[in-house]
Amino acid sequence: MQTRWDVGEPERPTINEETEQLKSDLLTLNMGPQHPATHGVLRIEIWTDSEIVAHAIPHLGYLHRCMEKHAENLDFRGVIPFVDRLDYLASMNMEWTYVAAIEKMLGTEVPRRGELLRIMTAELQRIASHLMAFGTYALDLGAFTPFLYAFEEREKILRLFEEVSGARLLYNYIWIGGVWNDWTDEQLERVSQFCDTMEIEAKKYHELVSMNKIFVQRTANVGVFTLDDCFSYGASGPVLRGSGLKWDLRKVAPYSLYPEFDFDIPVGEGEVGVVGDCWNRYYVRMKEVVESIKIIRQVLNKLEAGPVMGKVPKVIKLPKGEVYMRHECPRGELAFHLVSEGDSKKPYRLKVKSPCFTHVSMLPHVAPGQMIADFVATVGSIDIVLGEVDR
Amino acid sequence: MLNVDLNKLAEHLNNQIPGANATVHFPEDIKKCDPSLTVEASKIFQVVQFLKSHPETPFNSLHVISGVDYVEWMEVAYVLTHYSLENPRQMILKVKLTDRVNPVLDSIVKVYAAANFQEREVFDMFGIRFNNHPDLRRILCPDDWKGWPLRKDYVAQKDYNGMAVYPDGKMNFEDREFIIRQDMIKKAQEAKAH
Repeated sequence: MQTRWDVGEPERPTINEETEQLKSDLLTLNMGPQHPATHGVLRIEIWTDSEIVAHAIPHLGYLHRCMEKHAENLDFRGVIPFVDRLDYLASMNMEWTYVAAIEKMLGTEVPRRGELLRIMTAELQRIASHLMAFGTYALDLGAFTPFLYAFEEREKILRLFEEVSGARLLYNYIWIGGVWNDWTDEQLERVSQFCDTMEIEAKKYHELVSMNKIFVQRTANVGVFTLDDCFSYGASGPVLRGSGLKWDLRKVAPYSLYPEFDFDIPVGEGEVGVVGDCWNRYYVRMKEVVESIKIIRQVLNKLEAGPVMGKVPKVIKLPKGEVYMRHECPRGELAFHLVSEGDSKKPYRLKVKSPCFTHVSMLPHVAPGQMIADFVATVGSIDIVLGEVDR
Repeated sequence: MLNVDLNKLAEHLNNQIPGANATVHFPEDIKKCDPSLTVEASKIFQVVQFLKSHPETPFNSLHVISGVDYVEWMEVAYVLTHYSLENPRQMILKVKLTDRVNPVLDSIVKVYAAANFQEREVFDMFGIRFNNHPDLRRILCPDDWKGWPLRKDYVAQKDYNGMAVYPDGKMNFEDREFIIRQDMIKKAQEAKAH
């Protein structure tokens, strides 16, 4: 078997002529698995030439929980709590994608109120996830305060989710055929209030961080992914949009009731720095928060009384075949490749296409030539959740 | 999201690449399941290269590589996609491998960089080796793990470096259910006898 040592001595990148004489022997540095800037248990082996990264090798698998193997031993409903634990910061979106794959094969019709509530919870979850990304990204770059601001708002969303589903992070709320529980008018009223405060807060975050001179200097022109890189590596979500392609599955290949909604797709325009750098990825996320608020407000206007669960057989058996279901999640496109053998209560194979997994594979490509501190900024900007990478 | 005529594409592939042997599989209910295109395993590199620069329906990106073990054969599914706002496309491209002892495929890392990690995962989970892969190592399991976990005939090792990883009755739910069912049947029979 090949090992990483067979890759050979990496080239030492040149930044400018002055540093040319300062080249030294390569030093191996382990970033993680317990490093706070790796957002979980990611270990990146960096070969550095003094302060400059020559080569970066991500080592995955510290959080590998055999989810795909477990799924083969569980019935279709039983997989939902496992799916939650993939991306524990955006469980609602994970559940919805999985459930959508089952519903497509089953041919279930979801009642309108159930579908609208799904959109609302998914968008609330998107906001919560982006707030977390915003907070931890600022934390990576040495600013602690934004983290606290972000958590204050995120907490409101988690409270609401706790009331309707009974859990703060791992909900098991979106079920095959609809959603488990209806929202009361009082709760919906609080969602509406949250939208109002969140809009004001979002402006505050921009003043606090987005155009902050130190923040811009740390992130602009750093870790640039060109559009060709993104295509070749299969990037999606804010990484792809930060590089300038207006690609969002909710618009390009609309699913659910998204065609009814009016919202924009923010893309990186390079206000500071170049398109595709860390700052643009960050800024796309912040703009998406505002777009999600727009969607939630429209949902609240459209909601009418009605059932939230459709008719689903007691024992779910899917036809023989396979389905590849893609949804737009906060971190990119999540997809499930579900294979059913027909007349079985369990998935024959459930493959998870994780957006962060592809984004981590881009790191060795951008790392050479970066300063170590810039590399930390790059890792933070792709907003990884290791639960989803390692599965 | 499909936007691609698989029959036409298969015909085109068979004309352009001798021995590609492209066949289209349509499910019974097209609304519920996705169709797929199967090609000869030895020609996968040429086929993918051809699809990336196809004159009419190019695919500029690779979404995922997934393996499925059907016991008699193993299947590797490549999901190709085209990031374009006007013509978004997606297709499932498959190859079949009948050799379970030493399954080998050509790596497509040179065509799509995304294949690097994806092929490593398929190797990790199914033991399928990829020729010309730059760095074929296990990715999710430890380097010295034994066996290929997602194969259907996989039995987990009992311990790993002195740690118990597969205590009796922990992982295999089917065994447990089977035992419980047997107990219930027995009790019902006893109740009937009384």
